[in-house]
Amino acid sequence: MSSSSSSLTCARLATWTIVAVLLQILGLLLFVLGFFPVKPALSGVSGPESYRSPMSNSMEDHEHINQLSPYQRRSLYKEMSEIPPSFDRLILMVVDGLPAEFVLGKGDQPPTKAMMDAMPYTQSLLSHGTAIGYHAKAAPPTVTMPRLKAMVSGAIGGFLDVAFNFNTQAFLDDNLLGQFLNIGWKMVMLGDETWIKLFPGLFTRHDGVSSFYVKDTIEVDHNVSRHLGAELVANDWNLLILHYLGLDHVGHIGGRSSILMIPKLKEMDEVIKTIHMSSVLPQDPSHERTLLVVLSDHGMTENGNHGGSSYEETDSLALFIGLGSKIPDYASATRNAAFQVDIAPTLALLFGVPIPKNNIGVLMGETFDSLTDDQRLRALELNSWQLLRLLQAQLPGLLCGNFPCNGFNDAQCSEIDAHRVNIEKKFYCLFSKAATLHRSWVSQEGRSFCSTNTDDFRRTVAAYNEFLRTANEWLSRRATDKPPELLAPGIATMVVSCVTLLSILFRLCKEVYLREKQHLFGSDNCKYKWHLDEVFALVVIVILVFSMGSSSMVEEEQYIWHFLTSTLYLIFLRKAIQSPSAGATSSLLNVIKRQKFSYNSRACSIIFVLICGRVLRGWHQGGVNWVHLPDISKWLEQIDARIIKSIQIVSVFCVISLSSLALYLLKLKSRVVLVVQLSLFLSGLLVVMHIMEYHGQTFAPSNYSSTLIAQIFYAILGSTVMLTVLQAPWVLPISDGETHVNTESHSVTSFSINIQMNSPLLALRYSLYLIGWTYTVCWCLLQLLLQQPINAMPVLLLFFQILGTILYFSVGGTHDKQWVEVAALYFLGMAGHFGLGNSNTLATIDVAGAFIGISSHSTLLAGVVMFMITLASPLLFLLSMVIYISMKDASYLLFSHNGNIGHLLQMMIGFPCLVPLALNSVMLTAFTIVLVLMRNHLFVWSVFSPKYLYVCATTVCVYVGVLVVALTGIYTSSVFFFRKRMLSSMENGTSTKLKQ
Amino acid sequence: MGKKTETNRSYRDRNASVTVSVSFMVHLICVLGLAIAFWVAQNVYSINLVSDPTQTLILLWVVESPIVILLYSLLRRNPEQCSYLKAVGRGIVGLPIGALLMAFGAVILGAPIGIQYLEKTVNWSLLMSLFTVVPTACVFGSSWEDWQRLFAYTKPVEVLDYIICVPAHGAVIGTWLGAWPMPLDWERPWQEWPVCVSYGAVAGYLLGILASLAFMLVFGGRRQHLKGE
Repeated sequence: MSSSSSSLTCARLATWTIVAVLLQILGLLLFVLGFFPVKPALSGVSGPESYRSPMSNSMEDHEHINQLSPYQRRSLYKEMSEIPPSFDRLILMVVDGLPAEFVLGKGDQPPTKAMMDAMPYTQSLLSHGTAIGYHAKAAPPTVTMPRLKAMVSGAIGGFLDVAFNFNTQAFLDDNLLGQFLNIGWKMVMLGDETWIKLFPGLFTRHDGVSSFYVKDTIEVDHNVSRHLGAELVANDWNLLILHYLGLDHVGHIGGRSSILMIPKLKEMDEVIKTIHMSSVLPQDPSHERTLLVVLSDHGMTENGNHGGSSYEETDSLALFIGLGSKIPDYASATRNAAFQVDIAPTLALLFGVPIPKNNIGVLMGETFDSLTDDQRLRALELNSWQLLRLLQAQLPGLLCGNFPCNGFNDAQCSEIDAHRVNIEKKFYCLFSKAATLHRSWVSQEGRSFCSTNTDDFRRTVAAYNEFLRTANEWLSRRATDKPPELLAPGIATMVVSCVTLLSILFRLCKEVYLREKQHLFGSDNCKYKWHLDEVFALVVIVILVFSMGSSSMVEEEQYIWHFLTSTLYLIFLRKAIQSPSAGATSSLLNVIKRQKFSYNSRACSIIFVLICGRVLRGWHQGGVNWVHLPDISKWLEQIDARIIKSIQIVSVFCVISLSSLALYLLKLKSRVVLVVQLSLFLSGLLVVMHIMEYHGQTFAPSNYSSTLIAQIFYAILGSTVMLTVLQAPWVLPISDGETHVNTESHSVTSFSINIQMNSPLLALRYSLYLIGWTYTVCWCLLQLLLQQPINAMPVLLLFFQILGTILYFSVGGTHDKQWVEVAALYFLGMAGHFGLGNSNTLATIDVAGAFIGISSHSTLLAGVVMFMITLASPLLFLLSMVIYISMKDASYLLFSHNGNIGHLLQMMIGFPCLVPLALNSVMLTAFTIVLVLMRNHLFVWSVFSPKYLYVCATTVCVYVGVLVVALTGIYTSSVFFFRKRMLSSMENGTSTKLKQ
Repeated sequence: MGKKTETNRSYRDRNASVTVSVSFMVHLICVLGLAIAFWVAQNVYSINLVSDPTQTLILLWVVESPIVILLYSLLRRNPEQCSYLKAVGRGIVGLPIGALLMAFGAVILGAPIGIQYLEKTVNWSLLMSLFTVVPTACVFGSSWEDWQRLFAYTKPVEVLDYIICVPAHGAVIGTWLGAWPMPLDWERPWQEWPVCVSYGAVAGYLLGILASLAFMLVFGGRRQHLKGE
């Protein structure tokens, strides 16, 4: 960097800033890796290959399998699995929020008397040995949808898995229901409509109830039970899902010991009794064999809440009724522990379908007691193979098989266990031990049918179980663990970086303030006086930080940004109507002339910005709770599409003409300005063409010609920006003492340019002005192309806001603190972010726009475009900082007009770069801490984590914006200084020549 | 009390119009007017801000406006050159103008726009105007310097300034704070526009009155005292 060599303070400033930013990136990476573990998942659906060992590499033609009819597929599975399905039909009864404790008791204790009495039929089933219950530990977050996913797929999804398919709520991973569909099952679903959202179109019949009205505990369940009689008689289904929400609602209203709880449990018991009597019990050979499984998705706390990871919340139930075998006693029927994910492999093996690919569960051994020994071992083997495939995806070295392990060597395995050497080695060892035992058991069984091999059998089962449990533990830890050894250093690093940035900013403020004082009063011992706007800017930050702790505030963040930003601008307005301030920077000549003008224009521009902001807020009714309320965009969309189209075109022409006006006001007859003007005009025309094209074929937005137009547009825009940035500093006329007087008259008349002509850095500011306008206008045009048609007006309003704000600040002189001005711009950008219809849920991301002008399907490019669309407004305001720099006369802060480049840079781009970085780092660090504190909150996955993704994206956006501003500033001023030196050396040369 | 009488004396010497006790009376009557309006609303018409915001706000400003205009016109600046009636007229003109300003501010800060909100916004802004603009209009008329001093700089100098400036600022700040619960999803009826905002305004106004009295006793008294010497 050129700045580092010239000035100590500037170099130190830059170095410290870069160090802080790098620390922040490091901390953020550590935290994100810790908090959102990304586990490699297997894509696709398990098929017949799951009945073959993962070690053997024999591949059969998959097309052949895909062409199988469901019935062929079913018999193929039956043949390959070597386990005949024990049942034909499955009734899955989900009781939302039922803690297993209510049915099975806690630890060694049976359930309380009241609970026993509430469910007499279920208890009798348990004590007669016809049912077996499990405490199926659920993984957090203990809310319905992720838990249902875990039950049917056996996988624990990370948050990012959810985030990355924000398009759809449908569950696309390999799961039990999909497997059942593949073998031609008909499914019926009654109850919570979450199932219908997860599996749209899968059910033959369904009657969904919404879980929205938590106060209703009767109707939700009646709605399910009223179909029960008819469904139990019907025999056209293989899977019947009953999802009862009432018990969860009872919990939400009155907690575990609510007076409604016992009646509700009785009702559930009645349902179990009805099903058991009519479907499970009749066991004549003609009748289809039915298994009833009673599940709960999660438990509840004493108060009836859930979402976290306490024992009360994770203690969910899995109750199998109607298994063939008889359970010896009550204790062994109730004291079983398992995991919720174990349900998926158990049911898959019981019903003869392949285990879903990403399952991490282990089959529940007791449910297979009715099978023969070799079938039980086969089930364990299938489960092991599936887990081994999953392990292989996460540990690529696992199946290379080049471990010096003899397999069934017990001593070696335990030695490995003791040393914790290599996890891959350990898994391989455990698996090969079990496999070897299994093989030897099979060969022994082939030789003799005597019963001496029960010991071998037990050893084999134990070996399989050891492998399965170890793998399960490791895999689930990978999925849910938030390792504090990653989180703590991540947060610490972010805090350090935040403090560093703030202290740099503070020191810069102090230094600038001292210089200002010296410049104005010639003394530096004035006391610092806080102005209202500075105090309020700090208050804004504090309020924002605290509002992040409340989920409602996070959901409705757009109101906070608008409210605070508008208040800040009202405070600016108050300041503007204070007596006309003699801008200390203005030269004497200008003061008199411009006082009245600046006085009015300041107030007017602020009012203009405020009105634009209000319209922006009314444009989209964002957030979560009030989305349904009317807003301007809904109103316009209702009226006519043509109005939107004309608004779009008007917006394009407004942007173009404003930019032409601004460039015209430069009064420079430079060829660069002309070229820029022309190419901006051309780009505008292309945008208009694209708009016409797009509306011509609403249903095929990605057709060839519009893509071509968009690509030409990208090319023109890109080359314009590059040309301007690289060329403008070189070709714009460099001013020296003599030319001032000539140019002065132009600027005074202009309404928007306040470049004071007696500034020694005129050429520098000219080129920054030109570059800044090019950036801003290009970005606006790009957004007009990319954003949804309805967002054309908001983009224009944002552009107006920028102009108004910068006009206000440029007339202001030293009256305002520079950091407040930059902060105000940043706040406007964030308020505008929500004005463009964004919110803190992932649902508002405009995915369709991400493919405009992209001919090939590239995820990376589409992601970049999506980023640009989503964070259009903050980036726009960061880019406009370049105009702000050019309009703000900070040159008086230099000690001398020929001060070195370091000072210049420090004064010029110090605040515009540091303030956004510091503000963003405060937000980022604060929200990171909030997220850690809220990790067990009910809404951590639905509210806080999506918000965190937005915060991270904003951080990236701030980095990009600041980088552009800094590089532009550094490049422009280096060129300026270089040219100046050349000029002076030439002058020296000529003068010495003259002297000679 | 001794200090107060001393202040009064020194103040009277300066041919100024207002004393601390007078201002206390003015504030007391204003607060009583508000209280009576609330009492009438509650007990005679059995409405309140939550159940019927529009009617209650109308009642509030109709009761309060004659009190404020007539009282503050008594305190007008330069009573020799400006008749009582003129001051009253200024107050009456100031009422809708102030309401316009207040409505503009509220809408800018996010107050809902729509036919169904129009009535509420108008009545609310009339009440706000009574708290802020009308007293100033009665006392200072269209003297821009005084307006600027009071509201752009917030630099009250004499007792009269404190009477007007501090409650007005209190009302505005109270309104601002009162708007905070509005976007939350608590589903309470008082979260509606302009219920909690009106509560905030009244609370801020009352606190402002208390604060202005305190200011007058502490700073105003001292300053007048110094000037008197």
